[in-house]
Amino acid sequence: MKVTISRFDPTTDKEPHFVEYEVPVNKSSRVLNVLDAVRDTIDATFAYRHCCRGGQCGSCAVRVNGEPVLACMQEAHEGDVIEPLDLPRIRDLVTDIAPVIAQIAWMNGGCDCPPVTQEDIEEIKPLRECIECYSCISSCPAISASNYKGPTIMRQEQRLNLDPRDNADRILEAIDKGLFSCTVCHKCVEVCPKDIDTPRKAIEKLRAEASKRGLSLPAHKALASLIEKTGRSIERKEPTFLEQVADVLEPDGEVRATVGFFVGCMFNGRVIQPAFDGVELLRQNGIRVIIPKDQVCCGSPLIRTGFLGFIPELQKRNIDAFVKAGVDTVVTMCAGCGSTLKNDYDTPFRVVDITEFLCEIGFKAPAKVEGTYTYHDPCHLLRGQGISEQPRILLNSVAEKFVEMPARCCGAGGGVKSGKPEEAAKIGAVRAEMVKKTGADFIVTVCPFCEFHLHQVTGLPVKNIATLMMEGYRK
Amino acid sequence: MGIENKTDCHVLVIGSGGAGIRAAVEAESYGDTIIVSKTITGKGGCTVMAEGGFNAVLKNTDSIQTHFEDTMIGGAYLNDEVLVRTLTTEAPDRIRDLFKWGAVFDLAKDNTIAQRPFGGQRCARTCYAGDHTGHEMVMTLLEKLRGSSVKIENEVTILDLLSDGEKVTGAITCDREGDLGLITADAVILATGGAGQIYDTTTNSTAGTGDGYALGYRAGAELIDMEQVQFHPTGAVTPHDSRGRLITEAVRGEGGILRNALGERFMEKYDPKRMELSTRDIVSRSIATEVLEGRGTGNGGVWLDVTHLPREQIEARLPVMLNQFLQFGVDIRTEPMEVAPTAHHFMGGLKITPETQTTVPRLFAAGEVAGGVHGGNRLGGNALAETQVFGRRAGLSAGKCETTARSVDPTQIKAAEDKLDSFYNGTAKTSDVRHSMKMIMWNNVGIYRNELDLKVAEREILKLQKTPLKISSPRELSDAVITENMLQVAHLVIEGALLRRESRGAHTRTDVKQTWTNETSPFGHTFFVNGKSGIEILEDRL
Repeated sequence: MKVTISRFDPTTDKEPHFVEYEVPVNKSSRVLNVLDAVRDTIDATFAYRHCCRGGQCGSCAVRVNGEPVLACMQEAHEGDVIEPLDLPRIRDLVTDIAPVIAQIAWMNGGCDCPPVTQEDIEEIKPLRECIECYSCISSCPAISASNYKGPTIMRQEQRLNLDPRDNADRILEAIDKGLFSCTVCHKCVEVCPKDIDTPRKAIEKLRAEASKRGLSLPAHKALASLIEKTGRSIERKEPTFLEQVADVLEPDGEVRATVGFFVGCMFNGRVIQPAFDGVELLRQNGIRVIIPKDQVCCGSPLIRTGFLGFIPELQKRNIDAFVKAGVDTVVTMCAGCGSTLKNDYDTPFRVVDITEFLCEIGFKAPAKVEGTYTYHDPCHLLRGQGISEQPRILLNSVAEKFVEMPARCCGAGGGVKSGKPEEAAKIGAVRAEMVKKTGADFIVTVCPFCEFHLHQVTGLPVKNIATLMMEGYRK
Repeated sequence: MGIENKTDCHVLVIGSGGAGIRAAVEAESYGDTIIVSKTITGKGGCTVMAEGGFNAVLKNTDSIQTHFEDTMIGGAYLNDEVLVRTLTTEAPDRIRDLFKWGAVFDLAKDNTIAQRPFGGQRCARTCYAGDHTGHEMVMTLLEKLRGSSVKIENEVTILDLLSDGEKVTGAITCDREGDLGLITADAVILATGGAGQIYDTTTNSTAGTGDGYALGYRAGAELIDMEQVQFHPTGAVTPHDSRGRLITEAVRGEGGILRNALGERFMEKYDPKRMELSTRDIVSRSIATEVLEGRGTGNGGVWLDVTHLPREQIEARLPVMLNQFLQFGVDIRTEPMEVAPTAHHFMGGLKITPETQTTVPRLFAAGEVAGGVHGGNRLGGNALAETQVFGRRAGLSAGKCETTARSVDPTQIKAAEDKLDSFYNGTAKTSDVRHSMKMIMWNNVGIYRNELDLKVAEREILKLQKTPLKISSPRELSDAVITENMLQVAHLVIEGALLRRESRGAHTRTDVKQTWTNETSPFGHTFFVNGKSGIEILEDRL
């Protein structure tokens, strides 16, 4: 098997370099077996960490083709490119993890605390499976843009916070370690070999407790009171989408389906045109669109920033609105709203993203639109809803030229843009560089927050997928 | 003397599994403590991989005496009774320590510590955290360690123990780059774990190379029962590179059934009373016999089946197993697992008192590196308990050692340096030597043993020991030294296996007919010290 390994010896090399190796392997070999073979048959000084060989100790995390994996569990494939985690490098695949370990909190016990109960244990367990492989630290986009210490550090803060045997103030500690810098992009969950849901089970929980104690960021407090007052996260400055659109949009010909349309605050009040394009796109594809006017904010900004008090009210109003409209399918076109309705609600109707629904039901082929387009995966669509193929299918059908770009958070989520704009800008700057590399003239995405932010950091036109499709239809 | 990197402390702990960390956190209140491990602290030992559980008597329906008896019976009465008393008496307090420090073990509905049945025990005595109990223990211990004053040295290999002729005074170290160092100490604790890696197929991590046996032996300490190597009955069979990976006893504890290729539940033949939950030595021999007699799977294993259990039970109690198998393309909720025995645990090791004192002053040993606690066969769940009971005792004993002047013998340093220099003129690649050793040990010194095979193995290992190892860079130094340690351990295992002319515990001699039972055996421990070895004869039983 041929693989390419990044090598680096600080005593002789200025820069890391790639070396291609060909080694014999057995059937279903793991990446670790390939590394062993390189050491045993080619270069005995090749440095990499390994230990348990069973995914339990977390020693052997490396990046394979860019993504962090445990070398002992990941099956090796011809042509794999193997690099160290994105951490300060010591030699070859060995990185300096000491600074990360130094941030992991320990229990401050010895108090006269109540004994731990089965309920506590059940709550702590999901946060306890971490094997300290630091894949999450390697791939977190917020760390380099802020003083954020990283996902597993927050996981540990919440693990201790939940434990009655610990008597330190983990909320203040978490804030000090950058609690409000996480964009909840969920990249850490994607790369975690133990599937630990740090954003939902630690970050958002810690933020909720911070909020109860009045420790939230001023911008988040302001946003929360705006939502509680108006049911919307955007101040009304001009007539909104819901004020202008009809209650029901009938397609011209045969009715292939009937759906409810959930617009979300950004498309309702800040960038309105894509919403009109979205409903028109549905209508032109034979879909009857019902738009309940009493729908409100989905609550995503509140959940992400820790203001949970008003959530049941929002959930009830939204569910009631669509139940009253009598629809069994609700279409979203904001990735954040879609992810929230899918993951944080228990809805009696199905929630689908507009790209998901169009691909499922089939869509009219649009005319090609000129220009080179790249696609930015919104985190709340890619990881929040597991949708990556469908937007590309639509995009390929309409764009004259489509160029791929690896997914990475743009920095707009998790309340970071409102609470810590300079950090959002730094994350965005990295994304802007990636966009530049593609040579695209336009960015397409399916999230109004990404749309808005990407335009700011790249200066390029950012189009919603619905808008682009409609351009094709109008040709 | 070319070593510039020198550190001094009161207690030096070598090894960072459950026993090592437990020892270090206990020792720190007595003075400066350093914990050294050749991996990242906490990741190296087998503790972190231990899945099943921790035996401790916690219920009124159970008793210390029963735990004692189960351990003695399971150990084929080769156990050191005093050590077993210590283990069983103190295990309950040690699990309570862990709880005090934040352990997240499973609790029963009434918030008492949950316990499940394990092989060879008359009571559900095994405390657990799902099927990642060892991981949970290490996480708890790491939280404790990180909050302590103990100095943590990661990725440092010990080349040799320092001695002033009477007592151990520290150790010579070697870092990742091959730079040497000295750590002097009032007391040294070996907590280096076992040596499964001397076998081709093993559950052990790559760090399970038995360095502590070799270090202790070279320092003049006595070892016992090195032939007693437990083969865990259920190791993975496929894929080839993952062979030996542990499939926890908890799978059988939860109700898993063993079947041969004909679909027969074969344990009925070997131990109809205890069936799958018989002791590990018996289950391993049963599987080996099925395979040898042609009733094994195509890959030389048998089937371990949990498909009759509710899916929820598998998902909740065996999540690590479920996920590991899924990654190798097997859904254990709907398909059986293919399993075969795999080298797992060394019951033998450094001879210790209940205070963990070895036969060399100021040298202590705890955990798998020590011998005598488990006799000829270890019960599942007793090893994690052992790490805590004896780890704490080692920390106490070492901590209480008086502070004395610590001299370093320059001739010892010079000898070490000369030896390292000689590696540059060697001829054999360490990886080749390790491979040969592993195959010899697996083929000739496995579950079923006989004198002829053992003699051949002895000769082959000696040949490997005489072949000078070659390195081309200081970075390979640790590897070479560890390889020598492994060969040393392999040699001791073979020596013990030849000395013990009986089948006892995990050690089965097919060429010896015996008229005695475990209880009436005329043999005691095998022993190894300063190049001499033998087996204790119990005169009154002859």
